[in-house]
Amino acid sequence: MHRSLDEKDRKDKRQGDSMSSSAVIQPSQGDQTGSFFKLIDSFAWEIGTLKKEMVQKAARDPEPDTLQGLDVELGGLFFHAPPSVGLGAGPAGAGDSGYQSMRSRMSVLDRLVQTHTVWLQLGLSHAEATRILLPQPTGTFLVRKSTTLQRKVISLRMSLDSETPVKDFPVTESQYMFSLEGSGLSFADLFRLVAFCCISRDVLPFTLNLPKTISAAQTPNDLEEVAHLGAGFWDSELGRQKKSYASWSSGTNPQRQSPSLRQRSVTTPLVTRTPSQLECSQSNGALCFINPLFLKVHHPEGVNQTHQPCAYNDPHRLNDSTTAEVTVVQQQQYCTRDPGPLGDGTCGPVPHSPGSSPQNHDNGGIVGVSRSNSVSRPPPPRPPPPRSVPTRPAPLGRQLSMPQKISWVNTPKEREKGSSLLSRLGSSLSISPSSSFLSSSPPKKLSISAPISIPLSLSSPTNRLKPTQPPDIDCHLALDDRTIENAISLSLAKMSLRNADSPSDHRDPAPSNVEDEGGRDGGRGDSVQRLSDMSLSTDSSADSLDFSQGFFPPLPEPSPPTTDNLALPPLNNAYSSMEDEDDDDEDELGASPESDQDLTVTPPGLRGKRAGAMVIQRALRGHLRKMSGVFNSLLTPEKRAVRRVMELSRDKGSYFGCLVQDYLSYLQEGGGSQVCQCHASGLELLQTLRQFITQMKSYLCQSSELDPPIQSLIPEDQIDYVLEKAMHKIVLKPLKGMVSGALQEFQVRSGAWKILKENLTLAKARQPREMGVADTLPPDPVAIEKIRHKFSTMCKLYSPEKKVTMLLRVCKLIYTIMEDNSGRMYGADDFLPMLTYVLAQCDMPQLDNEILYMMELLDPSLLHGEGGYYLTSAYGAMSLIRNFQEEQAACVLSSETRDTLHQWHRRRTTQRTAPSVDDFQNYLRVALQELDSGCTAKTLQVQPYATTEEVCQICAYKFTVPDPENYALFLLTEGSSQQLASDTYPQKIKAELHSRPQATPFYFVFRRVANLNDLAVTSLDPQSNLNVILSTDSKPDLTDITQTRLDPQPNLNLGLSPSLSLSLPPNQHKSSNSISI
Amino acid sequence: KMAIRELKVCLLGDTGVGKSSIVCRFVQDHFDHNISPTIGASFLTKTVPCGHELHKFLIWDTAGQERFHSLAPMYYRGSAAAVIVYDITRLDSFQTLKKWVKELKEHGPDDIVVAIAGNKNDLGDIREVPMKEAKDFAESIAAIFIETSARNAVNVDELFQKISKQIPPLDNPEVDSNESFKITRQPPPSNKRCC
Repeated sequence: MHRSLDEKDRKDKRQGDSMSSSAVIQPSQGDQTGSFFKLIDSFAWEIGTLKKEMVQKAARDPEPDTLQGLDVELGGLFFHAPPSVGLGAGPAGAGDSGYQSMRSRMSVLDRLVQTHTVWLQLGLSHAEATRILLPQPTGTFLVRKSTTLQRKVISLRMSLDSETPVKDFPVTESQYMFSLEGSGLSFADLFRLVAFCCISRDVLPFTLNLPKTISAAQTPNDLEEVAHLGAGFWDSELGRQKKSYASWSSGTNPQRQSPSLRQRSVTTPLVTRTPSQLECSQSNGALCFINPLFLKVHHPEGVNQTHQPCAYNDPHRLNDSTTAEVTVVQQQQYCTRDPGPLGDGTCGPVPHSPGSSPQNHDNGGIVGVSRSNSVSRPPPPRPPPPRSVPTRPAPLGRQLSMPQKISWVNTPKEREKGSSLLSRLGSSLSISPSSSFLSSSPPKKLSISAPISIPLSLSSPTNRLKPTQPPDIDCHLALDDRTIENAISLSLAKMSLRNADSPSDHRDPAPSNVEDEGGRDGGRGDSVQRLSDMSLSTDSSADSLDFSQGFFPPLPEPSPPTTDNLALPPLNNAYSSMEDEDDDDEDELGASPESDQDLTVTPPGLRGKRAGAMVIQRALRGHLRKMSGVFNSLLTPEKRAVRRVMELSRDKGSYFGCLVQDYLSYLQEGGGSQVCQCHASGLELLQTLRQFITQMKSYLCQSSELDPPIQSLIPEDQIDYVLEKAMHKIVLKPLKGMVSGALQEFQVRSGAWKILKENLTLAKARQPREMGVADTLPPDPVAIEKIRHKFSTMCKLYSPEKKVTMLLRVCKLIYTIMEDNSGRMYGADDFLPMLTYVLAQCDMPQLDNEILYMMELLDPSLLHGEGGYYLTSAYGAMSLIRNFQEEQAACVLSSETRDTLHQWHRRRTTQRTAPSVDDFQNYLRVALQELDSGCTAKTLQVQPYATTEEVCQICAYKFTVPDPENYALFLLTEGSSQQLASDTYPQKIKAELHSRPQATPFYFVFRRVANLNDLAVTSLDPQSNLNVILSTDSKPDLTDITQTRLDPQPNLNLGLSPSLSLSLPPNQHKSSNSISI
Repeated sequence: KMAIRELKVCLLGDTGVGKSSIVCRFVQDHFDHNISPTIGASFLTKTVPCGHELHKFLIWDTAGQERFHSLAPMYYRGSAAAVIVYDITRLDSFQTLKKWVKELKEHGPDDIVVAIAGNKNDLGDIREVPMKEAKDFAESIAAIFIETSARNAVNVDELFQKISKQIPPLDNPEVDSNESFKITRQPPPSNKRCC
């Protein structure tokens, strides 16, 4: 964690230009330039390189068709490398089976993702893997987890004459990176790694070979069929391959694709837009982004240095480092349905216009290579298979410098569902960071960030196939070079300006402030005006842009690169829902907490690597705020995983989603009044929340509901962190307001609030010396105001981690003030009194609960680090203030407070034992159905062994039913309604229904028992453990039940298990009623 | 590849005895350009090799004033080690040290490593606390004892080395903790709907 703070410090210094003299420890000097400007610098450099390469490529690319073919073949796979760098078997060796698998437009990656149930068998032992692979042809593989190595391995079927028929190749997981041991190539997730290995053997003896059934599948449905078999695939008919398949020679295969490719390219609807057009395209939804790619090359032997970016940036740095990195900035893409006049006048707006080749834009000149790629790869003339990510360029070989994904497929099918389109888009745009930036990673000769598209939304393709909208909307790709270029040149100018100014800034007493205010207001006039024409979305996660050593020499801490994105609002309504998904708190806040990113609290050892990331966003944020969720899918692996978990949490068809939603609605019941009723204190409320988060994390780790498994997306040592983050978004974000209110309510009720305020007033009146501040000058009112501002920003955040980050900023500011005034360093002897004084001066009683919130909800693993330290100090200081009178009298804290501290520590440090989910299964959502007034639903706390009779009592009470004897609890599944016998256990029924492979929606409804004569008891299964009385109900007014989900599909198999035999009602027409909860 | 072990170390002692000076010296002397300053000097970290492990000291400074005494439990809870610092030129700081020892014995973690550091030994001519007395006291409680001079960088590294040595090595790195990685993935239901 402290490394991230370090990172932050450095930036503070750079941006504030004033702290270096007062810092506790001097960072490496010589960098007075804002990181943002370094980024821009890298852009500028990269542009130069690209231009050069464009020329080169144009001059010497004799086989465009082949390359295009490769691109198509590669599908979602991006591959790029400096031409001079030997890639081993790289693309050159890619002539074999990998290509065969890509006959249709589904990329290898698509196939892999969709069929991971077949090849991703983490639970298999080596023996089992051998058994499976032995009959398979050479090159067939499985990915499993070796128990001896405690790592994932690719189990590969070796050649027939090999001594070891099946060999394991370990996968190295580092900071968001997956790579094969011994290889310098790193990938953002397992799928990409495997996909790459299907194309290029890298360190493997040969390329991976997908089973023919998978590689030759023509449609996603075929793949789905295969996926259904899971591990059973290998023993099935499909899994038995003919040996002949094993050895395919190719080389010519790629060219087979060329004709169709060329045909397709004719229809490229590429357009360019100017920033101003973007600006006004709110409703038209142009999209743009800057997609930086990073490629780092180690040159231990000093060879292959033709592409040394260092030479540009900092030549002498090159000398002391064998590391050189190439950063590639990607061009923007726009997508719009608006065929209106486009900027630069270069390119026809008309979709499917062959003449609209953006090659014309070369005078814009930013992204030559990529552009030409995108041009040549237009959307296919017919809708692609839903699962397939649209083909996109995969620059190979010489086209190395511009790996980008440009693909925008405008099929109506895709528009149907925002999320699926989103993920597809995102996947086509995502860029993976490279692990080679990690100083800890083993020396690598070459590391390539190879972004490969991966559709995240893995729900059944059948859903997506439903055409709902006429294909009247066309999306255009637009590459606005000029926008970026303008921004860059402007920024460069500004950078030099800033540099010139920096000496005079030297006395700025609060450097850290400079940067965050600058970021927050964004409006600080001088910055990057042209960019104000755009919306820039920045990744809230800390890992955004990379500043690697070679590229940004002054930054000692390399970090993985990621994607930054620019985007405009959604295209149409279908997309607008995505905005809801874009729930980065910072976006709602208006403040820019994500400028905290470099100060984010992170488990020790984790953060330093992630943190590097500063970013465009700080400098541009204000201008580029208009970001929508559309580009959310330009996600880092972390973000994608978080999103995946969030999607699951909203899916009440999943057990996880059900637990989460039940819990949320339980707490939110009655607008928060429930919370106050059900918890004895604010502390208890927070503890319950923390427990829930911990348990859900534990459940997610153990269950297989996440699909694809999170282990395939996130390196294992990151999983907990990512899940924690996801749970904060899922639970804390929606509950934040309610929790804050409840905490305050508790405090007011207990009288603590009044006492706190009194004491705070008393403490505020004290002189610094009376508060224990000795040799140092206290902050002046202006500084106090600054601190107050930071604190109020902190109060608005929901994430305890981000709150702590904000707290750390305040602490940093206090230190800065202390040090600036005296020139020495201060330990706790001076700091703690000062912190107490400052807290008193701030006069913000709400901070007491804020600190409590952080103390109780912060990830326990962070409590020992810097965040934990300063949080502890803040808590201590606040305790002193809270007990100010008492302390004045007795000079010690009450024993009560000490006990509290004691308990807190014990609780928070022993809590880490894995909890069970059980406690949170205790919610049941029940709808009250009245003939006249429709339906109201409540989430009730129901113990697992509460009988239906007891639940009925609770319902009668909660719904205030006057005549409970006439009511009963019914279970509604699709088309049927059954009254539950009084001695059944609703929670068990719920669990049973959830545990089915094919979960159908079901609802518990509390309603008036129909006239007994109408009630036809159709069956009674005495052997059923659940002992459900089955009945049909002919009341036609079920349509009144309106909840969140609509389920219009009438003829689904209920999939009832024997233990819960239901009889379907005779009147099937009812099933068309939409009932959902 | 060595495992990094994080060790929380709590600094106790009267105000003005040089607690933070010792830590600053410890952290600064081997200035690693990869480790830049943290928020402030109250919390500093430093990683040192120890046998087959890397020990990352997370050093929690405390305020020595009496009024903050009651907060100390929050700081020393969960600490692997406590460094109690006194000033050899101030007898009262040694008396305070004894109080800390007592409190740690009563309320501190059971297995906490206690180190006693007599700081400012560069000021031997105005010494008030005889080294022998302090050393005997340390022995009586089985604590590490060392006299240091943060100003002259004397014995600062040694202090932490001694602590490192007293930290019991991790015998069994949890090998089997990941064992329960069972994933038998079910084929996704074909008609699974998503809302």
